[in-house]
Amino acid sequence: MKRVLARTVYMVIVLVLSSIAVFYAIRLSGGDAVAARVPASASAEEREAVREQLGLNDPFHEQYFDYMGRLFTGDLGNSLTNNAEIGKLITEHGKNSLILGVAAFVLVFGVGIPLGMLASLRRNSWWDGGIMTFSVAGMAVPNFWLALLAVWLFASVLGWLPSAGCCGPKQLVLPAVVLAMEGMALTVRMTRSAMLENLNQDFVRTLRSGGLSESKVIGRHVFRNALVPIVSLAGLRIGQIVGYALVVETIFGWPGLGQVLVNAVLRRDYPVAQFFSLVLITVVLLSNWLADVGYTVVNPRLRRG
Amino acid sequence: MATMTDQGGWPSGGDQPVSAPLLSIEGLRTMVSSRRDSFDVVRGLSLDIYPNEVLCLVGESGCGKSITALSIMRLLPNPPVRVREGKIRFRGEDLLRLSGKRMRSIRADSISMIFQDPLTSLDPVFTVGDVIVEVIRAHRDVSKDEARRLAGDALAKVGLPDPISRLGSYPHQLSGGMRQRVMIAMALVLDPDILIADEPTTALDVTVQAQILDQLVTEQRERNMAMLLITHDLAVVAAVADRVAVMYAGEIVEQAPVDELFEDPRHPYTQGLLRALPKVSATRRRLDPIPGLVPSLQMMPPGCAFAPRCPHALDRCWNEQPELATDPDGRVFRCFNPQPFAG
Repeated sequence: MKRVLARTVYMVIVLVLSSIAVFYAIRLSGGDAVAARVPASASAEEREAVREQLGLNDPFHEQYFDYMGRLFTGDLGNSLTNNAEIGKLITEHGKNSLILGVAAFVLVFGVGIPLGMLASLRRNSWWDGGIMTFSVAGMAVPNFWLALLAVWLFASVLGWLPSAGCCGPKQLVLPAVVLAMEGMALTVRMTRSAMLENLNQDFVRTLRSGGLSESKVIGRHVFRNALVPIVSLAGLRIGQIVGYALVVETIFGWPGLGQVLVNAVLRRDYPVAQFFSLVLITVVLLSNWLADVGYTVVNPRLRRG
Repeated sequence: MATMTDQGGWPSGGDQPVSAPLLSIEGLRTMVSSRRDSFDVVRGLSLDIYPNEVLCLVGESGCGKSITALSIMRLLPNPPVRVREGKIRFRGEDLLRLSGKRMRSIRADSISMIFQDPLTSLDPVFTVGDVIVEVIRAHRDVSKDEARRLAGDALAKVGLPDPISRLGSYPHQLSGGMRQRVMIAMALVLDPDILIADEPTTALDVTVQAQILDQLVTEQRERNMAMLLITHDLAVVAAVADRVAVMYAGEIVEQAPVDELFEDPRHPYTQGLLRALPKVSATRRRLDPIPGLVPSLQMMPPGCAFAPRCPHALDRCWNEQPELATDPDGRVFRCFNPQPFAG
């Protein structure tokens, strides 16, 4: 319990620090926030007036407190470029991102763990070799490159799947697989090594000496022990999914949070970029927090003392 | 010391067993193989375990005691270790030829085993109650509640304080002695005929060792169960054994009722072991170790395995392997040139 509380406090601190970092980083990156808001023919005076109106000439820290103050009253503001309500943008695109993210998460663990178990149980077999080769490839190939290859093969050559779009199951397949690939590869490796490590533990012999079947010994006991390191890194895997979503959504034209964020940053649409970043950071922190709590659940050694 | 004559088993006189053996190992050869070479770690071992007896298997580490026990349970880490030859008879069946399923039904129910290190031997992420319940339900068709009740009884029986709440404990919440009691409770919950205890006290504090040993002997007597106790500690042997089998380099070199073995050991290795024991006497003297080292199992001498360390070795001992034989006094040992024991 103490541990969970400590992690919660830690999470809040990181959230505050990263909100400051995001706020400053986007302002330090140069570019002109009003360029998208005024016609290209606008004079320097007109631009300056807009800047003044948006408060962009105030010192950074004043802008920061001003912005955070409005956030806490629930005023998310509007996009600088098309005046869209940020609240609406979030719900629309958030739903799409959630679909993609959950699909990738399911692939990472729902496919990664069984493959890792299979590799560990058929150690040094053709299965093991095949799965581990796949896993090395999954870790080595950068996802933007994998995305291009996948589009080329499955969309252009074979014509099985659409190359981009939203939001049916067919359009989901390629981005979800590409997004999940690295996490899946890492989960396979981790599952395999954790299974093998626990298969050699003394307690396995004890359970067998108690007459338990192999399916109980391996499927229940060895697996539950192997789950400890897997769950401890689940937060990292989710963070990876969130981070890679920016790239994958852009490549596949999947209208999620990542795509909006990338466009907002390119156009210096401060309110959108800031809030979307904060949302993604919160998702990552929450998932890490959840993984921490989950780790305490699967590892009873942490619960007391 | 439990007496055997009134319970059957091997009478102290030492000629013929009164009852039939419960478990009978015949010519067991267990080998370790790797890509480079393979060699036997148990070399043609034969041993009988009689009902209700405490049989101690004694020997230095690496002599094949644990491998023998794991061969009986069919729990050898295979690869690289597997039984190459031999029979292990139990109730008219050869354990080595049973199906995996049949063998599982024998484990814990008929033959149980407890291990050396009770910390690493218990699953860290399950409560001890859950595991005992699982063991019960692998063999008996009982409800979870009934199994839990039986598990609580078993923990109470082995002297674990507050047994019902201990069912919900994880191994890391228990002390070493408590863990070993949990192991014993788990091994005995189904009332087996034979308990194999592989150095059950080695990893424990000295004070706890005595308690655990006491618990084991009490259980053995109350349940009329046979116990194969594996140890390298002769003090333990003297305290609990009915009969002793001494193992050296993968084979049995002598076996005898415990008092005969301590009073009049015949094999030079047994004599060496006893001579090496520190004695409490008026004059302090140096310990008397057995000279030399155990031969490497990869390169066994052609003759007697003990010849290189034996003070009385004859030419014959270097070339010819002595058999485990019964001499006119009814003593069983493996030696061409036995000498009287001068402690």
